[in-house]
Amino acid sequence: MDKNMLAGLEGLPEEDKARMSSMIDHLQLRDRCFNDCVDNFTRKALQKQEETCVMRCAEKFLKHSMRVGLRFAELNSQAATQD
Amino acid sequence: MDQGAFGMAETEMEYRVELFNRLAQTCFNKCVDKRYKESELNMGENSCIDRCVSKYWQVNSMIGQMLSAGGRPPM
Repeated sequence: MDKNMLAGLEGLPEEDKARMSSMIDHLQLRDRCFNDCVDNFTRKALQKQEETCVMRCAEKFLKHSMRVGLRFAELNSQAATQD
Repeated sequence: MDQGAFGMAETEMEYRVELFNRLAQTCFNKCVDKRYKESELNMGENSCIDRCVSKYWQVNSMIGQMLSAGGRPPM
């Protein structure tokens, strides 16, 4: 997995990016992109469009997870201060 | 005992990670177009994600409260 995909979220301290990266379920990411993008089994090799789809899917899911992570952290800290 | 506190913190951490992953999965399903025309999230998807996270969080809290209240769930 290319770490540069995570670079899209500037403004996050490095340690937060790393923590989020380790929280993201990579197995789920792989299965999701495979299921959404790969349907054709007439050939062994991945076709170009399948490759493109998988790359986009993975990037999108990572960006999405980062955004969710930000909101999650916000809500977590709100909940903490309410107690 | 220290070990007990540590064990509880570990479980709490696992719970948080599980919550995060389910939340991310759910909101991705609800908000993101599966055709993957591009790798960026568009404005609509961003708004949807923010709102989805907020609502999911509220539902999670509600259910947590219902279950910890110990009684039967309201009919």
